[in-house]
Amino acid sequence: MQPTIIAQIVVSGSLIGLIYALIAYGFQLTYATSKSINFGQGELVMLSTLFSLSLLNWGLSYWLMLPLGMLFGIALGLFVERTAVRLALAQNSEGWILMTIILGLFFFSSAENIWGRDDHPFPSPFATDPISFLGIDITCQEITLASGVFVIMGLIELLMNKTLLGKAFAAVATDRDAAQLMGISARRIIMLSYGLSGLVSALAGILVAPITTAGPTMASTLILKAFSVAVVAGLDSGFGIVVIGMLLGALENLASFYIGSGWREVPGLVLLILALALRPAGIFGKAIVRKV
Amino acid sequence: MQKRLVATVLCGLILAPSFAADSIKIAITGPFSGGSAPMGVSMRDGAKLAISEINAAGGIEVGAKKLKIEVIERDDEAKNERGALIAQELAGMSDLSGVIGTVNTGVALAGDKYFQEKGLTKIITPAAGSASMTQWSKAGVKDLSIFRFSANDGIQSAMVIEEAIKRHFTKVAILHDSTNYGVSGRDDLLEQIKAQGNKLDVVASEKFNLGDKDMSAQLLHIKAAGAQAIVVWAVGPELAAVANGQAKIGLHIPLLGGWALSMSNFIDNAGKNGNGAMTPQSFIEEPITPRIKAFIDNYHKTYGVDRIPSPMSAAQGYDAVYLFAAAVTQAKSTDTHKIKDALENLKEPVVGVITTWVHPYSPWNPADVNTHEAFRRNQVVMGTVSDGRVIFANDADRARLIKNASLDKPKK
Repeated sequence: MQPTIIAQIVVSGSLIGLIYALIAYGFQLTYATSKSINFGQGELVMLSTLFSLSLLNWGLSYWLMLPLGMLFGIALGLFVERTAVRLALAQNSEGWILMTIILGLFFFSSAENIWGRDDHPFPSPFATDPISFLGIDITCQEITLASGVFVIMGLIELLMNKTLLGKAFAAVATDRDAAQLMGISARRIIMLSYGLSGLVSALAGILVAPITTAGPTMASTLILKAFSVAVVAGLDSGFGIVVIGMLLGALENLASFYIGSGWREVPGLVLLILALALRPAGIFGKAIVRKV
Repeated sequence: MQKRLVATVLCGLILAPSFAADSIKIAITGPFSGGSAPMGVSMRDGAKLAISEINAAGGIEVGAKKLKIEVIERDDEAKNERGALIAQELAGMSDLSGVIGTVNTGVALAGDKYFQEKGLTKIITPAAGSASMTQWSKAGVKDLSIFRFSANDGIQSAMVIEEAIKRHFTKVAILHDSTNYGVSGRDDLLEQIKAQGNKLDVVASEKFNLGDKDMSAQLLHIKAAGAQAIVVWAVGPELAAVANGQAKIGLHIPLLGGWALSMSNFIDNAGKNGNGAMTPQSFIEEPITPRIKAFIDNYHKTYGVDRIPSPMSAAQGYDAVYLFAAAVTQAKSTDTHKIKDALENLKEPVVGVITTWVHPYSPWNPADVNTHEAFRRNQVVMGTVSDGRVIFANDADRARLIKNASLDKPKK
């Protein structure tokens, strides 16, 4: 097989893999502060995308839609935190698991009722024609996708590492009670993490929709892969999820090319099983040693 | 029945004469949501257009009186198991005169046996997979109540292969979805290639699942194999993914395939990447005759659209209702078995929007599925996608249809 074809497969796979990474990043943000995960994250992606699509259909420009769509994502994230997570955390219960699933189902049904069950094309200002680069075709949409993912993750990481707010974030992530005693409002920080998590899921949806189309079921497969990525990479390494996300995307494409398209989902599952068996904390995760 | 007839006639006499004395029940089934919805919805809406025209004129003539049509709608969501449940439900209704619909071949395969058991007359439209009729000839059924009103995949695949040969392709790739429709489409295509003299070399044969968005692996195989055209058998959303995937990897070769290439969710989701896709069509949304123009205008006005989501499904739904109504009039009965007999031997030509149907069906012969197939090769034309619409691929076809229509006119 020609090397350019293999390169092509790897490159387009890893670019899509970046979307898995971005959604997985959303898991990571909330897990860091509250040790909870929104199991309805996929519905956040989907709902924000469909909302953004409606904005475009009302005649808003892409660049105006982008911040509004992300704001909508933040609002949804905060809504999830308020309704499904806060109470459960206050009671130290695991109720958030079921509550976030229920909210997800609720979002899904609302989307079906508002936008219908069909997939819609999602317009994008970027050309769909490929640019050839060393024999590899890359579309503008893929470049936008990659740069969008890196910019937003870079900004959030900057926020985490360079600002006081980021320090507070790290403090809550390390020990919620101790941070609380130091005068940091853990509740605010958890809200912030859910807001940011909603923001990245909205962005992920907006970036991927021109490639996959937008509809109520658009995120159902994406979310499973994002989850694999989050688990395989570990829930506390931003760098790790990017690497694993790209690797998973590339592996999927290679599997469907060499073994057959029916085998597409297999590498993700194999990776997940291997990671759980060999490194339960994730490849890039820090093993937590609990002293009793 | 007799008593109720008398009672209703009496009722009718006592009440205003315009009051519908009795009605005839027809069920319309199809996917009204999901990926196949453009076909299902257009078929249903086309059929309902015909029904409202018939009802506005007083109803179907049955003997001395006129019966209004009452519609029962069921959404099978293109799911085989739902289709089977709906078929069981409808087959259990004692006063149902017939069923029109089904878009997905798998749904027809799952559900039609319940209609056949009860002898309930069903006109399949627009499902095109060959298997939905050949299943009955293979089983050697003696008396069949299932009719098809759609250019089956046999006709479609023959035309597609013809077109590929006409365009001097020698190497083609076959790409299909893994549903009953896609797989039987692939088999039809391979058979046609053989039947038309093995002039095409199938250099790649690839498949994908319903819901797949990324076809790059399959398309790269096709690219590496050096195919000159892709012959594709799938439905709208995945077809769009194929066209978009082609653009993405710079594989600029023509796309030919089954008529799902005329579905709005292909045309819209593929955008300019869908231009030039070629597909056999029973109806093109171009107002070439007054009758077709009236139909198109009426559809647009009634449903508030400026483009029919699947024009051929709409036209077929419309004509199927007129065929059914003609059979009811000829049978002089709402009894589904008598309607079936009449449909097998329609004496009067039926003026439809696709063509004027002269004796479309004949008594079922398990050795020849064409006895229950209405469409022949000459009712189907090649269409091509062009900037959001499907137009005639060959001007000769347009001219032929206009000429045929002018010959039909005196009969009406």
